[in-house]
Amino acid sequence: MLVIALCKGRFLEPSLDLLMQAGIRFPEDLASSRKLIFNSDDQRFRAVLVKPADVATYVEYGAADAGIAGRDVVLESRADVLQPLDLKFGYCKIAVAGVNGAAFPSSQGRGGREAAGVVSSAEMPGAGLTTPSAPPDRWLSAQPPILCEEGNVDHQFSRPTIRVATKYPRITMDYYNARGIPVEIIPLSGSIELAPLIGLADRIVDLVETGRTLKDNGLEIVEVITDSSARLLINRAGYQTKRDEVLRLIQALEKVIR
Amino acid sequence: MKSYAQTPPGTQIVIGRAARRRRALERTICSVFEGWSYEEIIPPIFDYYDVFVKGMGTGPEEQIYRFIDREGNILALRPEFTSLVAKTVATRLASSQKPIRLYYSGEVLRFEKPKGGRQREFAQIGIEHYGASGKTADVEILLVAVETLQRLGIQAFQINLGSVDFFGGIVDRMELPADRIAELKEVLNVKDRSGLEALLERLPLGDRRKKILRAVPHLTGGKAVIAEARELVRNPRSVEALDHLEEIYSIFQSLDLAQHLTIDLGEIRGFDYYSGILFRAYVRDLGFEVASGGRYDGLPGAFGEDLPAVGFSFSVDRLEQIVTPEISEIEAASIAVDDGFDKALQLRRSGKAVRLCL
Repeated sequence: MLVIALCKGRFLEPSLDLLMQAGIRFPEDLASSRKLIFNSDDQRFRAVLVKPADVATYVEYGAADAGIAGRDVVLESRADVLQPLDLKFGYCKIAVAGVNGAAFPSSQGRGGREAAGVVSSAEMPGAGLTTPSAPPDRWLSAQPPILCEEGNVDHQFSRPTIRVATKYPRITMDYYNARGIPVEIIPLSGSIELAPLIGLADRIVDLVETGRTLKDNGLEIVEVITDSSARLLINRAGYQTKRDEVLRLIQALEKVIR
Repeated sequence: MKSYAQTPPGTQIVIGRAARRRRALERTICSVFEGWSYEEIIPPIFDYYDVFVKGMGTGPEEQIYRFIDREGNILALRPEFTSLVAKTVATRLASSQKPIRLYYSGEVLRFEKPKGGRQREFAQIGIEHYGASGKTADVEILLVAVETLQRLGIQAFQINLGSVDFFGGIVDRMELPADRIAELKEVLNVKDRSGLEALLERLPLGDRRKKILRAVPHLTGGKAVIAEARELVRNPRSVEALDHLEEIYSIFQSLDLAQHLTIDLGEIRGFDYYSGILFRAYVRDLGFEVASGGRYDGLPGAFGEDLPAVGFSFSVDRLEQIVTPEISEIEAASIAVDDGFDKALQLRRSGKAVRLCL
């Protein structure tokens, strides 16, 4: 019997749908029940329901042979698991966002990029690193210039080190490390969008599905860090020691998503 | 207030019966090693930092606990044994008759997030075989691994055998920058097909090469996999690797052990020092490998003596999760203090265990 770890929450229904199409049927009351362990009708699989952030952990430890979770949580957990399939649902982006216009004040003539919302990689760090376009007296009178994540010398932030609120401290740290920008990370567990609005943080790194929540809160994407969607996770040892069962599961799911 | 019940993350205290079980496990393993004429080497628990950097490459250096002694030397707590053994063989044992067979048993220290069965301090026990290239030494150490697992009473185990030369031969030809190769390894490592596709779109490679890379993660199974791989590659380095694996597989077949061997050409993880075969041993119902090893011919050369080398190590902590060695109860005679200490000494001289009742 293979154990599959599934996320409670928004991934549960599409995960069960997918498994059902692959011929793996779980009891109908799974989503509504308070039980956490369910056997499939044919007794070949066992589903365990866990928090999204824990799926990768269950699979890494081998407590589950397989799991379904978003790429975002796998990246954040840095779990050492196989990820053979993109299950093609739960699409979203992990993005840096900030208050509208905060990144490129129009006084500096960068309104065009601001309007574009997403900064393309060609415009990323390096561009405009050397010459601040603000007049010299402004530099003298205001706070010292700082480097913001776009690689521009800018000083609309009140702090010398920008603060970033996020549910993804590791992804965030990797992103800023790769750009050589010092940040203070503020780990939050929900309502991340609030942080820049009330001055807790200058930036957020969060999941963006439609961009609606950002927009409603007067925020915009500064840069997309990476795309995310649901992944099939497989324990490394199980892939070797239960090869036939695991490969059958992979193939069955692959047929459905094609 | 700090609680003294806790030890630092990733460390543990082993007491009493658990400690006796661990020692019994270690003794069983060592007796197999000795049965194959491996001699013990007891290296220091710390050495100069650059010994390990030379050995492990620059990737895992963040995991090394280092410190500075009073003379300003940078020292490191051993994060693995292979570098230490290779250095010893390349210097102190340079003029010894080859091959040299050594085994070690002890704790290593790595700064890792303690998870997934990983500790920061963990026990390793393994062998190293120096001075012989080619399949004979490779087969020898694989057989030692197989016998060890069998002696521990483990039946359902798989040894996954690959070769760094198979993948190496493929990427050699592609002339990609190092960071692209690293990205490629990253997606292949987790068998991430969609990640591979996204990467292939950005790489200036022809269709034939892309086809090879798409196939790599799935080249795993029995002997048929080698034939399948032969259809894909023509470069001599990869082809030689396939010949070599096929020979080993045939030997395992003739010994009736092939059921424990899986050819895995998609396995490309491991320290930089690996140069030929690469393998990991898995046991059913344990989520991690219990042993890993391979060939590292370049390593002794880094310490001044070119020598072929091959070896592996077992993770004692992981074996403990699946093996419970038999331990005999200690039968001790209880001695009341009133009987006098001479009574206790008498029993001890006759080889009996005593327990003084105070």
